[in-house]
Amino acid sequence: MSAPAGKSTSPILDLSYRSYDGPLDPPTFRWWAIAKLSMRQTWKKKGFWMWGLASGYWYLILMAVFYFADQFSSGVRNSTRVPSGVDPMRAFFEGIKWDVMFVNAFSISQLFLFIVALLLGSGAIANDNRANALLVYLSKPCDKKDYLIGKWVGIFLPIVLVTAAPTLVFYLYCLLSYQQYGFLSQDGWLGLRLLALCLVPGVFHASASLGISSMFSQARLAGATYAAVYFILLFFTKSMETIYRAGGAPNIVANLYYASVDGIQIGLAKVLLTTDGGSLFPAQVGGSMQSVPPAPNGWLFAAIYFATCLGFLALAWKRVRAVEVVG
Amino acid sequence: MSVVASIQGLTVKYGKFTALNGLSVDIPEGCTGLLGPNGAGKTTLLKTILGFVKPEKGTAHIFGLDIEKRAREIRQLIGLMPEQDCHIPGLTAVQFVAYAGELAGMPKEQALRRAHEVLEYCGLGEARYRNVETYSTGMKQRIKLAQALVHGPKLLLLDEPTNGLDPSGREEMLELIRSVSHGKGVNVIVSSHLLPDIERVCDRVVVVMQGTLRASGMIKDLKSIEGHPVDVELKEEPPGFLEAAERHGLAFVSRQRYSIRMKAPGSAQEAAKLAMLAARESGAQVRGFKVAERSLEDVFLQAVEVAQ
Repeated sequence: MSAPAGKSTSPILDLSYRSYDGPLDPPTFRWWAIAKLSMRQTWKKKGFWMWGLASGYWYLILMAVFYFADQFSSGVRNSTRVPSGVDPMRAFFEGIKWDVMFVNAFSISQLFLFIVALLLGSGAIANDNRANALLVYLSKPCDKKDYLIGKWVGIFLPIVLVTAAPTLVFYLYCLLSYQQYGFLSQDGWLGLRLLALCLVPGVFHASASLGISSMFSQARLAGATYAAVYFILLFFTKSMETIYRAGGAPNIVANLYYASVDGIQIGLAKVLLTTDGGSLFPAQVGGSMQSVPPAPNGWLFAAIYFATCLGFLALAWKRVRAVEVVG
Repeated sequence: MSVVASIQGLTVKYGKFTALNGLSVDIPEGCTGLLGPNGAGKTTLLKTILGFVKPEKGTAHIFGLDIEKRAREIRQLIGLMPEQDCHIPGLTAVQFVAYAGELAGMPKEQALRRAHEVLEYCGLGEARYRNVETYSTGMKQRIKLAQALVHGPKLLLLDEPTNGLDPSGREEMLELIRSVSHGKGVNVIVSSHLLPDIERVCDRVVVVMQGTLRASGMIKDLKSIEGHPVDVELKEEPPGFLEAAERHGLAFVSRQRYSIRMKAPGSAQEAAKLAMLAARESGAQVRGFKVAERSLEDVFLQAVEVAQ
């Protein structure tokens, strides 16, 4: 029987309906199809690449500073006016706390990572709500768990990529260039700690943006809500930082510094890299170490971090459904 | 004929509102219409079959699989064409349908090839590279059917498939449904409150009202009238026709201008023979003759009246 609506000019010769009897993948990794589509759409977004590249700018500056310092040092060493064996930049490099460099660069990249998260996450569920796409997803042999895992991974992996790429490039650069200045000896586990650190923004932003996105049927509203939460909390924690730096503030102020989207991640970064953080430039190290809030309690902070992420995911779990149930 | 869906005492509540109230019905293979006024529980029944809502009481089996325990396997065998517009944002038609196939477990290449085939079948071949968001209402209905068909379901659930379509679009959609539901190994349940649509494509109906079953069976059986009455259409009624008919054993039932409904104790063929004898005796000119039946609307209204 020919198709009722088919055209004779179709490039497909047989237009009759035939049942599909080809292979089917097992249902175990159905979420991966959802994650792949999310990522395919991400790669097409210019904003993702632009803000993603911008998030690593501080690493670029650090590499440039170290490179020119190194070149200057080599130049001075080769100079006839300096006694042989004297390295004027040794003090500079040996004064560097490498883990502090990574915490600083991580802190500076926060705003950019947030923008990337907004681009990827604000419409993740909101757009599906608007287009009734959940009816398509959930009427197929994949369930709410597959849907949420797929959406989560689809945001998580690109953010991890954006976080990890400059971090690991900088790590490799330092590993190859500055071992003689104690890069590896300061902390042999730094590489592994950095790998763990690269997961922190991905986990948080994927969870938070899914939770917020699930509450809306317009990506703009979801994005505006996440942005409002981000900037209000940022203002609050910056105020706490100012009070802390003025001195004489109670201990709670130092902890409240971490009560923001950025703060919770910076706090966990300090916990993971086992440092309190410090000044932006190595020359200031030591002189102004006391001006930044110290690292929070590791276990407690990790528990708060994961509880926050799970809270957002629970919100998404509650909101995602194929039908509006009334009453 | 084997049973596609077996539903026993199904009760579904949304808060205090009871959408399905102890519904029991067996839906056999073929094309079945799910009839009922708005709010009767048709869509709730489809959503319960798919596992979107949990029944409070009762059980349902689709192809022998329990809807509560084996929902994923059931959805592998089902294609849903929802009432509302639905699509995946940002995708062209072919991407959307192929993605629907991937969600159903088809390997990527197979899903893409099948998407092209199904889109051609649904008459969207030339628009397959357009973003679905730019589609007209009729095209959106077709793409919903295409995404439901892509993985080769054994049961197709169509919820108000002709909603928002113009007359020609409606004709084409009904023809598509009729085509796919007859001789293609696909069982179809069409939920609609449009009786002509159901009558056009379905062999059986299930009438639901206030969440309970009001009538079910083959459409031709439901439309048939007890006692096999016949409608005799005359050019004009000469005096003595009714008397002659009564002498031959035909009982008068009703009249609509020159169309007279009569009933005989035997079969419809015997009634026809007796009516022709009466016409010859009375000199009446017979212009038409058919076995009397109710319209589907009458069947529906009767089912609804019983409920009220």
